[in-house]
Amino acid sequence: MSATLTVPTDPSRVRMQRDRWAKLQATMAHQGVGTLVLLGNSNVSYATGASWPLADPGRANVDRPAAVVVAGDEAPHFFSALAGLVAEELAIPTDHVHGPVFAECDEGAEAFCRTLATLVPGEGRLAIDEFPGAMRRQFAEFFPDAKLAGSDEVVGTCKLIKTPDELGFMREALRITEEAIAPVQAALAPGMRQSDLTAVFLRGVFDHGAEANILDPIWQVMPKELADGPWTTHGDIACPLLTTERELEKGDVLWVDTGISYGGFSSDFGRTWVVGEEPSPQQHGQYRKWREIIDAVFAHVKAGATGTDLTRAALEVTGGHRPWMHHFYLCHGLGIESAESPFIGTDLGDAYDERQVLEEGMVVVFEPLVWEDGASGYRSEEVVAITKDGFIPLTDYPYDPYGD
Amino acid sequence: MATDVLPDEARLLQSRRDRAFAQMEGHDVDVLLLGREANARYISGAPRLWTAGTRPYGPGCVVVRSTRAIHLVSTWDEGMPDDIPHENLFGITWNPGNLFAWLQGIEGVSAASRIGTDSLTPRFGQMLPKLFPSAEFMDAEPLLSAARRIKTPEEMEALGLAASVTETALAAAIDALRPGITTRHLTAVFMETMAAQGVTTPATQRVAWVSRGPLPSCPTWVEEEIGPDDLVAFDAGVVAGGYMAEVGRTWPADSDRVSSDTTLLVQKSNDLWAALLAACQPGASCTGLLQAYTSVGQGAPPLPVAFGLGLGFDVPVVSAHLPQTAAQDHLEAGMVLAVTAQVDDGARSILRKEIVHIEETGPVILSTSPLWRA
Repeated sequence: MSATLTVPTDPSRVRMQRDRWAKLQATMAHQGVGTLVLLGNSNVSYATGASWPLADPGRANVDRPAAVVVAGDEAPHFFSALAGLVAEELAIPTDHVHGPVFAECDEGAEAFCRTLATLVPGEGRLAIDEFPGAMRRQFAEFFPDAKLAGSDEVVGTCKLIKTPDELGFMREALRITEEAIAPVQAALAPGMRQSDLTAVFLRGVFDHGAEANILDPIWQVMPKELADGPWTTHGDIACPLLTTERELEKGDVLWVDTGISYGGFSSDFGRTWVVGEEPSPQQHGQYRKWREIIDAVFAHVKAGATGTDLTRAALEVTGGHRPWMHHFYLCHGLGIESAESPFIGTDLGDAYDERQVLEEGMVVVFEPLVWEDGASGYRSEEVVAITKDGFIPLTDYPYDPYGD
Repeated sequence: MATDVLPDEARLLQSRRDRAFAQMEGHDVDVLLLGREANARYISGAPRLWTAGTRPYGPGCVVVRSTRAIHLVSTWDEGMPDDIPHENLFGITWNPGNLFAWLQGIEGVSAASRIGTDSLTPRFGQMLPKLFPSAEFMDAEPLLSAARRIKTPEEMEALGLAASVTETALAAAIDALRPGITTRHLTAVFMETMAAQGVTTPATQRVAWVSRGPLPSCPTWVEEEIGPDDLVAFDAGVVAGGYMAEVGRTWPADSDRVSSDTTLLVQKSNDLWAALLAACQPGASCTGLLQAYTSVGQGAPPLPVAFGLGLGFDVPVVSAHLPQTAAQDHLEAGMVLAVTAQVDDGARSILRKEIVHIEETGPVILSTSPLWRA
């Protein structure tokens, strides 16, 4: 492991945005995109540097901020009732600040497209991330001849490698999560409800400075045997299952999975806990096996490693049985989305994994697991930043009550 | 909330499905490929994982009119209604080819003449017509919002629970208000109290802001400390059983230090609220809600004056930015709206958001949170 990357302790939004802007412009130029129209919350956050407390996914559609990036421009156009509030801090000039977009109805979509028509340069493709029905209708009216592209190719390319300031914000998001999770683990006891754990956690995340919770926190009581859990399409583990008011019992094995947002970035946290008692020798053995898997994978983690280098390392430890959830992956990227590229170990298959190559500056979450049918299992997540020769761990939360 | 993950209650679900299928019938839509969780939940009745923020479109719920079958992307059957059998579930996939094969294999989809989607990405916009070349694609959001905008009696019960949890959490946050704390701490208290009631998902996550004008005066990433002379706007809600409630109130940090200007503003807020409530009549144009602001000499607020509450937001969305939409739409008995009265004098504002049920005989205010009285 070596640290060629630096992760600043005082990340700057303005500097972060300057670096992103250069990447966005270069990528658009390379891909021949003249205008990038963004309506998805995380994409808008990426393009503008603004972040805000995210709402329920249905609620979030009603007054969603929008961003328009024009090739060769100096700053993004930002459309939101709150755009003026953040423009100065983000160095967005006043003539790039616009009122809210109501993309869900024709009147709102038409007004947005009318403004958009004044911004779109004559050349270059038009890329957009999403088309609510009204937007699609109006878009067709205003830009009948547009050579349309998806925005994923641009934003997806840019966000893959994190800048130092982005890493700084991400480490802070992870730190907040861990500070908020520690009191939950300390309070864990038989008789508590799953929702009580959420109460302690949510109090903590906001008091420690999170901007939003991004996921209904998971405190899943794992069955001893798969047959005791829900039916699944693949016959493998069902996870994550929703939190309820279920009371925890002594000896319950909890798989914890949660995340928050800070600076527009998602955190991710995963650990296994046992309620009200010490893990058994068998359970400690599961942890040691998990350790063995993660260490085997980590031995290959560095810039240039392919996805199959990593999956192969994990499979060698287990004798060929995939030690990760079959509907997910061995690892995934983390950033403005709680799960983003690269995805390794999915049902896209080995050929796809072989094309996934780790690069310096990627942030990757590894989430292998160990399952012993009849004795439940162990799962934890490790978040690392990839370096030239290895990786930098971005978290240091303990594995208690497992381990030495 | 229960101790098991349960599907939506059978009567509630049936009442929604009846409306949705009637709309499909009326619009002659054979198949819906739904991406929005609110729409998928409305018809399927299956709770799935809550995440914050907008999601890109992906067809995760398929509704076939001819068979009345509902197919879902879900790797497990927990929380599935009995009439969504295992063979109608498709595991989470990262492989578009697998997803497309699933869609094409669903009985009634390939033969559909008209297929509705509730949003699209450019990629799905290109792929879906190739997968189903004989189908005409249309925007299903209008028919879904038409189904959703009028609440059934069963939905009123669900909304009532969301409102009750919201107001208990709001009361705790208001109780925690004092000079020297940050607005984010008030959010922390709200969220803790919400979850302690067994509901773990919020509608929005900026619960409070210092009221120095019609909008928050600083970005959320700045810690906002509350001063002794500040008014604090609370605007919060929860999502319970999929249903969303929102309530807003404004309280002074220290009620012994309230200026006469603020007292005048409270009077204006009361006048505006009376005018808004008077506009909430069944059959009335939505423009009436915008005119209520004019009638008391208050400019329209930056955020919507009203929007429907339900699974996510519902129509009508009434905003000064959408005057034609307001003029073309009217209020109907059975709607439930979050109605916002917001007045400001340039230096500070008072926000009040109530849950209003439009009934045949007129509006009924469902929210009961106490108001600060100057």
